[in-house]
Amino acid sequence: MSKSVKLVAMLLCLSTPMWAQESIDTLSQQDNSDFTFTESQLDDDNDAAQTVSAIASSKNDPFLSEVGYRFSPMRFRVRGYDNMYEHVYMNGLQLNDLELGRFSFSMIGGMNDATRNQEGVAGFEYNNFGLTGIGGGTNYDTRASQFAANHKITLSGCNRNYVFRGMYTYATGIMDNGWAFAGTIGYRWSHEGVIEGTFYNSLSYLLSAEKKINEQHSISLVTFGSPTERAQQGASTEEAYWLANSHYYNPYWGYQNGEKRNSRVVRDFEPTAIASWEYKIDESMKLNTAAGAKYSRYSTTALGWNGDAYDPRPDYYKNLPSSIFDVYDLKNRNNPEFLEDNPYFLSQYNDLYDYWKESKANRQINWDRMYYVNQTQNEAGGEALYYQERRHNNQFVFALNSTLNKTIDQNNKYSLGVQFNHTTGMHYKTMQDLLGGELYRDYDKFAANEYGRFGKDAWNDLNKVIFDRDGNLLDDSKAHIHEGDKFGYDYNILVNKAKLWGQYQYNYGIWNLWGAAYGEGTTIERDGKMQNGRAPKNSYGKSGAAKFLGGGGKVLISVRPFAAHKITLGASWDSQAPLARNAFVAPRMQNNFVDNLTLEDIFSGELGWQFRFGSATGKISGYYTKFMNQVEQTAFYNDQENRFTYLTMTGIDKVHYGIEGAIVYQVNSELSFNLMGSIGDAKYTNNPYAQVNYEGMNATTNEALNEWINPVTGDNMPLRVIAKDVKVGSTPLTALSLGANYNVNGWYFELNLNYYNRTYVGYSAYRRLANILKNYNAVGKDETGRPIFNVEDPDGERDPKQILNEDGGIMFDQEGKVVKTYSPRLEKYHGGLMLDGSIGRSIRLKDGKAMSINLSLQNITNNRNLRTGGFEQNRDDLYSTGVARAYKFSKNSKYYYANAFNFFLNVNYRF
Amino acid sequence: MKKNILAIGSLLVMLSTLMLTSCMDEWDAPNVDDYSVTSPTSVGEPNITIDGLKELYFQTFSQTNSFVLVEDTLIVEGIVVANDEGGNLYQTLVLAAEDEGKQVDVSNCIVLAVKSTFLTPYFPMGQKVRVNLNGLYVGCYSKMPKIGQPYYTSSNNLRLGPMLFELCETKVQLIGSPEEYCDSIHPIVIYDDSHPLIAQESEYQNYMNAPMLVTVYGKFADGDDKTILAPDELKDAGMGVDREFKIGKKTITVRTSTQNDVAFLPMPTNEVALTGVFSYYDGWQLQLRSTADMAVFQDVEPEDNNGNE
Repeated sequence: MSKSVKLVAMLLCLSTPMWAQESIDTLSQQDNSDFTFTESQLDDDNDAAQTVSAIASSKNDPFLSEVGYRFSPMRFRVRGYDNMYEHVYMNGLQLNDLELGRFSFSMIGGMNDATRNQEGVAGFEYNNFGLTGIGGGTNYDTRASQFAANHKITLSGCNRNYVFRGMYTYATGIMDNGWAFAGTIGYRWSHEGVIEGTFYNSLSYLLSAEKKINEQHSISLVTFGSPTERAQQGASTEEAYWLANSHYYNPYWGYQNGEKRNSRVVRDFEPTAIASWEYKIDESMKLNTAAGAKYSRYSTTALGWNGDAYDPRPDYYKNLPSSIFDVYDLKNRNNPEFLEDNPYFLSQYNDLYDYWKESKANRQINWDRMYYVNQTQNEAGGEALYYQERRHNNQFVFALNSTLNKTIDQNNKYSLGVQFNHTTGMHYKTMQDLLGGELYRDYDKFAANEYGRFGKDAWNDLNKVIFDRDGNLLDDSKAHIHEGDKFGYDYNILVNKAKLWGQYQYNYGIWNLWGAAYGEGTTIERDGKMQNGRAPKNSYGKSGAAKFLGGGGKVLISVRPFAAHKITLGASWDSQAPLARNAFVAPRMQNNFVDNLTLEDIFSGELGWQFRFGSATGKISGYYTKFMNQVEQTAFYNDQENRFTYLTMTGIDKVHYGIEGAIVYQVNSELSFNLMGSIGDAKYTNNPYAQVNYEGMNATTNEALNEWINPVTGDNMPLRVIAKDVKVGSTPLTALSLGANYNVNGWYFELNLNYYNRTYVGYSAYRRLANILKNYNAVGKDETGRPIFNVEDPDGERDPKQILNEDGGIMFDQEGKVVKTYSPRLEKYHGGLMLDGSIGRSIRLKDGKAMSINLSLQNITNNRNLRTGGFEQNRDDLYSTGVARAYKFSKNSKYYYANAFNFFLNVNYRF
Repeated sequence: MKKNILAIGSLLVMLSTLMLTSCMDEWDAPNVDDYSVTSPTSVGEPNITIDGLKELYFQTFSQTNSFVLVEDTLIVEGIVVANDEGGNLYQTLVLAAEDEGKQVDVSNCIVLAVKSTFLTPYFPMGQKVRVNLNGLYVGCYSKMPKIGQPYYTSSNNLRLGPMLFELCETKVQLIGSPEEYCDSIHPIVIYDDSHPLIAQESEYQNYMNAPMLVTVYGKFADGDDKTILAPDELKDAGMGVDREFKIGKKTITVRTSTQNDVAFLPMPTNEVALTGVFSYYDGWQLQLRSTADMAVFQDVEPEDNNGNE
């Protein structure tokens, strides 16, 4: 026995380095709900791990217990909250990422059977593992003793991100000697997923050992990981989808040597180990302590090109027919008279249309062209113009949680806890593939256009180049980049967080009172590994730590006036440090913190009614949440300026409110119907401050970007984003579902008709900058003293109100005071229906063996027009001259669509 | 029990080995020796010269801004004598005719405008190209003779702009290799203001001569060895900066786009030789092709001063 234990222990230790070069996953959720999530909801250049809805499933809440499974295909987020407000634990250790706030579900992808033991709670709910966020929390219990003692083999086939999945799980249960072991191994694969040009290759493992030392003490060790390599899907415009004749067109791939090569390949591996100790102090008191470490390696590739090279993206706007003339201007351009008088426009439009339609290769990445260009550059002694870079976001995390749970009596109990987390985020990029190029120097090609490549400003790391006293470049040999070398940026983000919390629950007759409070301290620091030429004095070395002292609390009062009815009223206040990912003005380049960086505040209130009327049970809740002083940062490649751009907003206020609920009507023991839904609103309520930073520009030039000149007084004002009333995007604000379940003789059937509406596109803060929107001066006052504005459509087709609502604008009175702001209209998607169903059978075999088969069908009616997400392009419609471009970025957002009809067949055998 | 544990361990090792050896994103470089963005087949035999084209459409070429659709099958040939190698010329190839003896006649060129940045890899210096003009437009953009397609500028003016890059696949054919002509490209050398192009400039400033490839000798009016040619803060609506350049007692304009290597060249105090595309608007205007087009005076030995070589 001891030899076997040693062997397994050795494998546990070896498993991390063995896969250290490997990678990630999907965002699979619980059970078999391996929905075809891709990073569809991500900004193109956003490394945020995921925004896919991961919903705490509370068994006490019929809405929360179902909503995750039911609405996931549309990427529904409960109450419109970001996933960071749901806290995820494993064996009592909180695993939310301190930089992004979210839990990375890819960590546990493909180990469904091993993560089945879980406790989910809503935001206002007592639990034994930690104080959760407003989005609730989940604790996965993967201790070996919690696994059923058996073997289980699961085989799955589907037409989603992957086409095959196999899992094997084995657990011993607690043996006579007090030991328990469990392990699961899974593999998911597709040569090509349901989205063209994607592939999937993922191994998963979880190994768990537990020793029950005596009646009081039990220790456990679990290690898991899911090394994955997968290719991504990109969003595109409706025009590109139309030309490709598919809403599943993927612009990320192209042919190379006749094979489909994807430009965006993710590698992810987050090996984690958690040791836990359960100490039953006495019958009423228990201490759970968990400590864990994670060394995650996440990277994704992307194409890079220098300032002179043509943008290689196939759906780059200049490649699209609508870049030829304004197809939306029906009066002046897109009408028979104009096109007849100017036949060359329609001719060019048709030429591009034909080119797109002519062959599939024409609308995909042209790898051969990039290789060819680089080859000619080699011959000319020039630098590679195209390359593929790999952006790394690695992390080392050490965390410790300890929770004391005490049950005083039937009516009183409390918990006390302490949490600590140290995270070092390591961010850098390496040269993945020079695409046949032989020379690449590490200077910013766009900065070189701005400042000249022979000057210091252009170089990304001054430690690699030598200049003389007069600023003349003497030696750049160390800045010659080869495949595998770091280049561009290299920095660490250090975050420490310590938290003390406690909660108390008191029952008195029909009343129940729960209160919780916490205090926490957070430090955030950047440690630059390169001396950037645009920020030579504040890029290399440490930034110094920003310190935040926060805290908050929750109160819940519930009353049960009748046995079948319960009314709850909860309120909470949180004051939390901003996320590290939002804290730096341009983290890839320099150490400066964002201006106005303060604690973020959240108030949340909820009123719920849980009821039972005969065979009908359910719960209806109303909620109101106000976010204050939030910080958000978007980082993107700015087509307009040809530069990587950071836009940080501070002082953001938002509200989320609405109602949600679920009713289940049990007709008999075999048949039930259910109705559930959520109707709410989530929007910005102010115009936050903005800070723009171009990576290729130095401090002086960047300062000019942030100017907003008052058109009346001429004063420079703090720059703002006109975001008031902008809706939170990429989640349906209306989601309703009617379902039926039928179970008979081991068979079970489920059919759900889901309706989604009021999904908005993700808004571009850049397009809403106050210095980009039109500023209107008052031209006089009316008889009541209110300013009068001259808002006119040159074509005379739209009235002033329509112009302001569609295009946005800022109104200044005659004294130069802003009296009203209008944010450009945000696109709302069409609503739609989706029919999902499943059929299954459980079969009990001899000797305790069992088998089950389940077939899930999603989007049975094959609705291919349901948009799940997307984002506005970060460009405006005008040239710097103020003249309108032919191409309308404002009408060409990029979208993702819900998957077409798909299935998931799952067979498992327990023995 | 031991067997079970060993089984799990063994499976883990096997699968990890499989993972390490089965990376799905490994690629060999393709063979792109024969890659081309132009027509792989003949676009037709040449049936008109650059001179002939200008004469045929003289009413269009003689205006400041104009264009006309070529409805006939006209095939014109030219050798690339200027491209966007240095980033100073944008979407521009300057084609010169081949005269007898395989010499390149740089005294009377035409611009082939193509809608793409960095055309140099596809159209290197010395490359002979053949263009089927049927369906394309010819005309002038600010008096510069050009082949392209109409577009609206950022100032909302309808002008003759670049042809679609995608049309190269059917309209343009590469002939031979660039090496055949590379050494035959000799700019017209203007040593001082006695050169006919300068002394009798009004006679030469017309569509039949422009654009040309020339080398001029002279001094920058603002030359101080520090001030760069095209700082961003001085750019005009056309994203360029004009500098006065003295050739003897005459002055021409050196026009340079911002945001490229040429823009950052300091203007020497001493005499220099500049090579570039010579065109006219109000007066002569020179655009350098790359940083190599500026040479200090002592580095260049003028061959003669009679307007040829």
